[in-house]
Amino acid sequence: MFRLTWKGLLAHKVRFALTAFAVMIGVSFLVGTNVLTDTIRRTFDDLFADINEGTDAFVRSRDEIDSQFGPQRDRIPANLLPEIRRIDGVREAQGSLFFYAQLVDRDGDAIGNPGQGDPTFGGNWTPEGLLNPWQLVRYEGAASRPPRTADEVVVDKSSADKGALLVGEKVRVLTQAAPKEYTLVGVVRFGDVDSPGGASASIFTTSESQRITAAPDAFDSIAVANGDGVSQAEMVRRVEAAIGHPKQYEVLTGAEITKENQDEIARAMSFFTIGLSIFAYVALFVAVFLIFNTFSIVVAQRLRELALLRAIGASGRQVCWSVLGEAVMVGLLASAAGVLGGVVVAGVLKALFAGFGMELPSQGLVVAPDVVVLGLIVGTLITTVSAVFPARRAARVPPIAVMRDVAIERAGHRLGWTVAGVVLTAFGVAVLLYGLLGSPKNGIAYVGFGALVLFIGVAVLGPTLACPVGRLLGWPLARLRGITGELARENSVRNPRRTSLTAAALMIGVALVGFITIFASSTKESISVAVDRVFRADYVITTHGGGFGGGFSPDLAEEVDALPEIQTASGLRFNVFEIDGSSKFFASSDPVGIDELFDVDPIAGDFATLGVNQLAISQKVADAKGWKVGDELPVRFPVGNKGTMTVGAIYGTGQQEGLSDYFISLAAYDSRYNEHLDNQVYARLRPGVTPEEGKRAIEPVVKRYPNAELQDQAEYKQAQEAQINQFVNLVYLMLALAVIIAGIGIANTLALSIYERTRELGLLRAVGMSRAQLRSTVRWEAVIIALFGTGLGLVIGLFFGWAVVEALKSEGITEFAPPGFQLIVVVAIALVVATIAAIFPARRASRLDVLQAIQTQ
Amino acid sequence: MTNAAPATTATIAARAVMASKIYGQGDNEVRALDGISVEFAQSRFTAIMGPSGSGKSTLLHCLAGLDRVTSGQVFLGDVEISACTEKQLTLIRRDRIGFVFQAYNLIPTLNAEENITLPMALAGHKPDRAWFDNVVDAVHLRDRLSHRPSELSGGQQQRVAVARALVSRPDLIFADEPTGNLDSRSGAEILTFMRQAVTDLQQTIVMVTHDPGAASYADRVVFLADGKIVDEMQDPTAERVLDRMKSFGD
Repeated sequence: MFRLTWKGLLAHKVRFALTAFAVMIGVSFLVGTNVLTDTIRRTFDDLFADINEGTDAFVRSRDEIDSQFGPQRDRIPANLLPEIRRIDGVREAQGSLFFYAQLVDRDGDAIGNPGQGDPTFGGNWTPEGLLNPWQLVRYEGAASRPPRTADEVVVDKSSADKGALLVGEKVRVLTQAAPKEYTLVGVVRFGDVDSPGGASASIFTTSESQRITAAPDAFDSIAVANGDGVSQAEMVRRVEAAIGHPKQYEVLTGAEITKENQDEIARAMSFFTIGLSIFAYVALFVAVFLIFNTFSIVVAQRLRELALLRAIGASGRQVCWSVLGEAVMVGLLASAAGVLGGVVVAGVLKALFAGFGMELPSQGLVVAPDVVVLGLIVGTLITTVSAVFPARRAARVPPIAVMRDVAIERAGHRLGWTVAGVVLTAFGVAVLLYGLLGSPKNGIAYVGFGALVLFIGVAVLGPTLACPVGRLLGWPLARLRGITGELARENSVRNPRRTSLTAAALMIGVALVGFITIFASSTKESISVAVDRVFRADYVITTHGGGFGGGFSPDLAEEVDALPEIQTASGLRFNVFEIDGSSKFFASSDPVGIDELFDVDPIAGDFATLGVNQLAISQKVADAKGWKVGDELPVRFPVGNKGTMTVGAIYGTGQQEGLSDYFISLAAYDSRYNEHLDNQVYARLRPGVTPEEGKRAIEPVVKRYPNAELQDQAEYKQAQEAQINQFVNLVYLMLALAVIIAGIGIANTLALSIYERTRELGLLRAVGMSRAQLRSTVRWEAVIIALFGTGLGLVIGLFFGWAVVEALKSEGITEFAPPGFQLIVVVAIALVVATIAAIFPARRASRLDVLQAIQTQ
Repeated sequence: MTNAAPATTATIAARAVMASKIYGQGDNEVRALDGISVEFAQSRFTAIMGPSGSGKSTLLHCLAGLDRVTSGQVFLGDVEISACTEKQLTLIRRDRIGFVFQAYNLIPTLNAEENITLPMALAGHKPDRAWFDNVVDAVHLRDRLSHRPSELSGGQQQRVAVARALVSRPDLIFADEPTGNLDSRSGAEILTFMRQAVTDLQQTIVMVTHDPGAASYADRVVFLADGKIVDEMQDPTAERVLDRMKSFGD
């Protein structure tokens, strides 16, 4: 039977090549994604191994608040350091500080942008030895030395290159303290590389670092290097014994802190891997339809051959396995090609991400054996499983079929399938809605599973819909294009099952594109509505590119506030605290005059007099929790951690309305967080000051903060939209895969259909159909199939969009705004894909030799 | 005997001049047509007969612009179709020639009426309604017009094919074994229609057949063997044709 399988494969090279190509694309993307993330992880693993190379014990505060951006931790007192140095067996111990610092080049531009790429941080210089990972190097002919005074700084070589900095010149550094000029006294490399993972680093003296962080007697952590003959575990025991307070301090071995750092990166990377892999699996899911369809059609076309096999003694099982064998071979070959393609994809992705402003640090690509195996297994399995149904149908071909003129087309659709389709669709919708609105644990898993079932349900329902919908879609065509349109329409519905399977592949791509388009547009509209409702400020100062990376020294808000043209200006910060046992976002600003900047809609209590130990909560939270003004609530912060805060005010503008459900004053913030950076600054002009005058007044101040950008309301909206667009474009790019595979599916189905209709096409040509007319018939058939898939996809996309917006109402996505024009563009693109997919089959059809075609049996 | 056709009195609908069709090269060379010259008069029903491999189908295909001669000329009326481009041939087939094949004559997705008017629809012409009704009634298809081919019997399908060939009033109808797949009663029906079309409607028909009974409906029979015209017969009867065929040893 193997010979037969192999011969069958060779005989149908082209149709299987297209199938294999679809599998290959999916596998390539899956492998490429994993190779890329492995590569990035390896880079960071090496980096942390280097950083902690000399560290045998690591001391830090035990308290932490977990947030989406990683844990936030309190500092530890600096006087622990002499105590630790006195411990027997300690060879060296150093305290370090790690904080936000942004280098500015000679032209006043920021070097590196934490909003979009690698972090920009500051640290303290520790004496060269086991615990200092930096190496001073000669730079542009000048010798480097460590910073010795409060006015000196050392920077990494990569930043020096980017900013064209020279040793001896003055550089400005932005921190949470006021911007300050430092003399560049040295350039450092990090082990073998110019900078750790592409980050930008500024290194100061320890006392200057403590001044910048307003932590004169504190360190973030203390690292210990052992003398000879002391194990890491033993040192941890000795340090723990010496400093006491096990509830307050945590002592880790060097191996543990390295592992923790690496795991944190792995966790952050896993979101990235999963995110990208989802698109690979979407592409493969689409490919399943294509494979299933191809094998179904091929089996239908080979009915006589299969019946002959049965007639001469092959068992049903053997026939079944011969078809499955083809699938396994196609799958294996395609997956192998996909693995190779994956390495290429990884390289391309890396370049693409750099193009989108997300530069990924890395040396060569890491191709792990398990990723290769994953690609081979997933690709082969998907191909084989997709062929199971067609193979079983092949096995059921009765031997007698060899004698009969078996109808190739199997029109009609059983009621049972329709019912199954309706049930599956309804079940999918229910699961998806439960996942979104029922707020269960692992809601996202419910959503994914529900979407999957919904897609399958609609695909099962497809053949029932294909006939009426295809006729309807083709109706104008038949009217406008005459007989070619009429033929296209009838061809598109002559085998509803084939049409609907082909359309289903496109449906999935369009549904996801449609969903993302609708979701993005709803988000933009919600932001716009919220800005209109909440903003009273005339200007916003944000970090370049937005995002949560970095911020400004509070000095910026003060300087702007001091301008005579300005009525009120205040910084706004967002962060996370723990309240009533769960981690929540809150906003922080100056409560005095806040109603000049925002419509907070005060409801109870007094917003303006919020004290250091008071907070304000939104009406929604107050209602949900039954809290009222004067209640004491349990809260946790990184600094001064446990305690209570009293509800000082209740206001209407919660998260849903565009602000936040919790609010504390800047004074309260400063006493509870180490880093005092404003994420945004809002300013309102004094009455009578024109926007132009105001802008002219603020701009010089903003200029001194190179990472700051001044925006009015309209510009702010645009900037937010631009950010969403960037994200959406990336998603479109990923979904293009699924659409391309769907296009291949259309091409494959048409090619196979044309092969079946050879005689009919010959007849059409004989009675006078021109080649152009024949091509147009094939093209319009593709268009009808595509329109069918696009229509279903858009309906599903609209539903997804509506459901997700509904689910995120409380997060501030309040407006459901499907964008008409963009959805028309989606339809247009689907039509273009169909037209392109039809090119090759149409050309083949039109080039049929008329004489041979009419003599085909 | 070869020049017995009354060519002098009738207009010529189609003719071949020294037409040859050669497949393959060297030792594999096959001469399907070997320098044939033949004329087909207007408003006449001509049958082409001959043993398998005699070149009768090739002659038909070349006359109909479905295939090209290797050398020589083929004319439809005054037009030399052996010199036409593929595009021109398509238009000639659509506008000036009607076809009836042995089987699979119809487009399965179109109903009987749409199949009948297909060549005109392809040309973007409206069918002449009165003529259409005439033809449809002649082949007794009035109550079958909205049926798909799969809902018609073999005989009905061939009648639809004949109607399609007639409805555009082509210069010439080519029929390739039109009754080959039918039982004798349905076959006789089709041949009667074709005969009537020539007698009553002045249609010109050229038919390839190997059935002497079918040939007896024609005005004239042309006999082919080994790519050459070897004989012809006016006003044939089934017996005379059968006798002539026996002499080929086929």
